[in-house]
Amino acid sequence: MTKYLTLLKITWQNSLVYRLSLFTWRLRSFLSSLMSLTVWTVIFTSNNSAFGYSKESMITYIFLVAFLQSMIIASSLNGLASRLYSGEISNYLLKPINLFGLFAIQEIADKIKNLLFLFLESLFLFLIFKPIIVFPDLKLFLLFLIWSFGGLILNFIITLLFGSLGFWSPQVWGPKFLFFMILDFTAGKLFPLDILPIMLQKIIYLTPFPYLSFVQIQLFLNRLNSQDILKHTVILVFWIFILGTITNKIWKKGLKSYESVGI
Amino acid sequence: MRLKTYFNVWKIFGFNAIQENLVNRGSNILFMIGKVLRFSFSLIFLFLIKNTVSSFAGYTSAQMIVFFLTYQFIDLISQIFYRGTYVFSNEVRLGSFDAYLTKPINPLFRALTGKPDINDAIFMIPSLAVSFYIFNNLDISVTWLSLVWYLILVTNGLLIITAINILILSIGILTTETEGIIWIYRDLSSMGRFPIGMYMQPLRFVLFFIIPIGMMITIPTEVLLGVKPSFSIFVTILVGVGSLIASLKFWNWALKKYSGVGS
Repeated sequence: MTKYLTLLKITWQNSLVYRLSLFTWRLRSFLSSLMSLTVWTVIFTSNNSAFGYSKESMITYIFLVAFLQSMIIASSLNGLASRLYSGEISNYLLKPINLFGLFAIQEIADKIKNLLFLFLESLFLFLIFKPIIVFPDLKLFLLFLIWSFGGLILNFIITLLFGSLGFWSPQVWGPKFLFFMILDFTAGKLFPLDILPIMLQKIIYLTPFPYLSFVQIQLFLNRLNSQDILKHTVILVFWIFILGTITNKIWKKGLKSYESVGI
Repeated sequence: MRLKTYFNVWKIFGFNAIQENLVNRGSNILFMIGKVLRFSFSLIFLFLIKNTVSSFAGYTSAQMIVFFLTYQFIDLISQIFYRGTYVFSNEVRLGSFDAYLTKPINPLFRALTGKPDINDAIFMIPSLAVSFYIFNNLDISVTWLSLVWYLILVTNGLLIITAINILILSIGILTTETEGIIWIYRDLSSMGRFPIGMYMQPLRFVLFFIIPIGMMITIPTEVLLGVKPSFSIFVTILVGVGSLIASLKFWNWALKKYSGVGS
């Protein structure tokens, strides 16, 4: 356990070395939230409700999506495929640590860092927009936290799955770009998915992406009945189980075929 | 005569880029699908707003779509011609820029246009076709005079984009690190999908005069739509020409500070 805590400390320190990169990354996240909040504030200037959302619900939605974006979707493992293909992980394979454990530690350090900055950014946005945030009751809030944790695990698994491409090909930027494009919209970053035509919603719900933040926010906003809550809980667990199993198998296969020469 | 030489050199850059694309066919196809999805989702979102909200920041919802189409066009042009900016700082670090300086063509031309984006060039065709189709079916009236002014101001917008890219290249020479700046510029420019007037001060001032996205996208669109522009055409052209002259002076100054790595 001590070695993992040490790894956490080292990863945390590493992430603060390139402060300008860190600043620009957070600024980008801030600008994205600022744009969304401005767009929706403008839409609600002349309308009391739109797309079935009140102004308060929509602004709460945008705040939450920014929060979950940083806590669930943002990942320090996005460059994993190139780390695999370049042979960088040979270094870790030789050490007495679990590879997935190491990745999890790197993710935790990244999330802690995001959380700290997120509070500052949210405070700033809060002062600008002075929104009325709609809070759920305690029971729903606890379930929201559990679902968010589930979303975090699901994203971790999906990132590992995409990263495993690096075992076999250096050409990962194409799939990665496509993945991020799909994720940007299907996780409900710019707008809630339930404003889309029903047909499109049904297609999106066939993927795990709405479980990376959209359903969590729907729960927070009290827009799900008990039947929906049960259904989404089962589906979230299902995706974690299925993708977790597939990822595990692919990584085992990848590690068997992994070779690094002259590292 | 000199212009013809540069055109021939640029054709070689383009030919090389096509060859590179053909080598990585799979990734490029996925990249293209990603671009189509992003464009489609953005349009779906805008049409949903158009069908639900009658006015947006003082514009009709049909007019708002024209802002997005202008952004899409200007952004694509920038991506097609100035993709070299994205990799330039790396070339300074590796010492490849030393080689540019020894060639009998302007190093700025090589740095700026040396890596045309073929994917975006291909995507430009369907994107323009869809844009024209949408534009023709929108409930807006355009006069020939406003169309001529629009084209002049879009050209002025391209001068501003060129100036910003030259500025980034110059920073690349001075600091060898521009990735963060490029992405912040991309995020700021994406704010131009909507009329800049909707953002609050001081961001609005920044988007009109510091990173003049508003002069690039908002003013030409306002003129096309026959709306009173946020700033006069004279000021817009002054910013366009002025920023280009200033950026060229900055480039020449930065170039004097360059020290090759002797590779």
